[in-house]
Amino acid sequence: MKRRKFLKVLLGLLGSTIVVTLAYPLVKFLAPPEAESKTRKLVLKKSEIPAGEAKGFTFNNIPVIVINRPDKGFIALSRVCTHLGCLVTYERGKRILLCPCHAGMYDIEGNVVSGPPPKPLQKFPARVEGENLVIG
Amino acid sequence: MGVGGKIRDWFDVRIGLGDFVNVQFREFRVPRNSNVFHTLGLVTVVAYMIQVITGILLLVYYIPHPDFAFKSVQEIMGSVSFGWLLRQVHVVGSSLMVVVVFLHMASVFFMGGYRKPREMTWVVGGLMFLITLVFCLSGYLLPWTQLSYWATTVVTSIPTAFPYIGDFISKVLRGGEYVTGITLGRFFALHVSILPPLFLFLMLLHIFFVKRTGLSTPPFGLSAEQQSPWTEYRRETHPYGYPFYPDFVKKEVFMGMLYLTMMFFFITFFPTLFLPEEANTPADPLRTPSQIRPEWYFLVPYQLLKLIPNKFIGITLLILLVVVFLLWPFLDTKKEPNILKRPVLKTVFFLILVMLAVLTLWGSYR
Repeated sequence: MKRRKFLKVLLGLLGSTIVVTLAYPLVKFLAPPEAESKTRKLVLKKSEIPAGEAKGFTFNNIPVIVINRPDKGFIALSRVCTHLGCLVTYERGKRILLCPCHAGMYDIEGNVVSGPPPKPLQKFPARVEGENLVIG
Repeated sequence: MGVGGKIRDWFDVRIGLGDFVNVQFREFRVPRNSNVFHTLGLVTVVAYMIQVITGILLLVYYIPHPDFAFKSVQEIMGSVSFGWLLRQVHVVGSSLMVVVVFLHMASVFFMGGYRKPREMTWVVGGLMFLITLVFCLSGYLLPWTQLSYWATTVVTSIPTAFPYIGDFISKVLRGGEYVTGITLGRFFALHVSILPPLFLFLMLLHIFFVKRTGLSTPPFGLSAEQQSPWTEYRRETHPYGYPFYPDFVKKEVFMGMLYLTMMFFFITFFPTLFLPEEANTPADPLRTPSQIRPEWYFLVPYQLLKLIPNKFIGITLLILLVVVFLLWPFLDTKKEPNILKRPVLKTVFFLILVMLAVLTLWGSYR
């Protein structure tokens, strides 16, 4: 290999090494920090949410709404709209969950009724333990 | 000789200032039939400089932390002497800058100024338009209001429409699952230290291209020069045109003053136009306001996303439109530069303008 070509190859190798060496910490620096462990549970008093009512909580950093369905009992749903991330609100009279951003509408099971949301709201396990309601 | 003349001479002897002005500005000529739309490029430079100066001054009091951002902006508006004025100039200036850049691009399109040899000038200008919008978006979050918080939530959710990489992009933008203080830090860094030099670089590149190719001649009443094929580099010199300095500069100064007049008209008579009630309510991550709407310049994509039920299709369509807009000079292969003689293009152009206006109005009235 001629000296000129050798220097070119060497320069290319060194340049690539420098780029990779700098790119790796840069990507790691910009990547979001590790999420907290999502194993915690949320314990509520059943009496906090009468039949037909709903209440909002934060569960593992996720805004959640717990609805007390008169016929089927408690259900815990994420309030984060699956369209573009706005928070849905519970419309008690119509028994729907409505997103104020693009008018996405869900029933109280979290299923999409109308509007642009591509999938149902995320559901969380909710079970009654005596006088308590345990989410998660 | 006066003091001014002596200073000029001092520089002239050392760096040939007079020669530089002569070659770069006096001998640089603009076409005789140039119109008021030709000044919009430099009005954009004025608008950008105003944003930079007011932005730097606002940094003196602004605190980029979720616990203090809202309070510091309220103090700028209420306690700091003339803080309200600087912030109003910055806020109104951002909207006016979008208008000016848009008008500049629309007029260049209408006059066929994107055609060979000015394809790169168009692409760089288009990128500057997009960066202006990113400027607006990143600056929008900084006051940490309900409006800014939820507008950012919506926009940073957009990448999630794309399978596999969408969620990752959204998390990188937000610095996590949701919009938090980390997002504020990222947007602050983007707004004050990444976008300004990027915009400046593109602006200089744009001006370099304009200088190298010369100002385009409006195609109405074609010159023979434009009819001939462009097979090698040559500059449009406009030997019978006006000198850029002082003739055209006077027109530019007038337009710059008109820009300032418009700005102070809005600040004086419509001070809440760009700062509605939600823009004065601190961000609440647990309550999306019922009347959430983005700023007027994002109402077109906002309304489109509302109308197209499938998120993936809606966002892909938006990206496609942006790509077509940026690469239009390479897609338009017709020889005729006069849009008035091209009924299809003329109709599409006006239809797009009407569509933009309708979607903006529709989006603003829900």
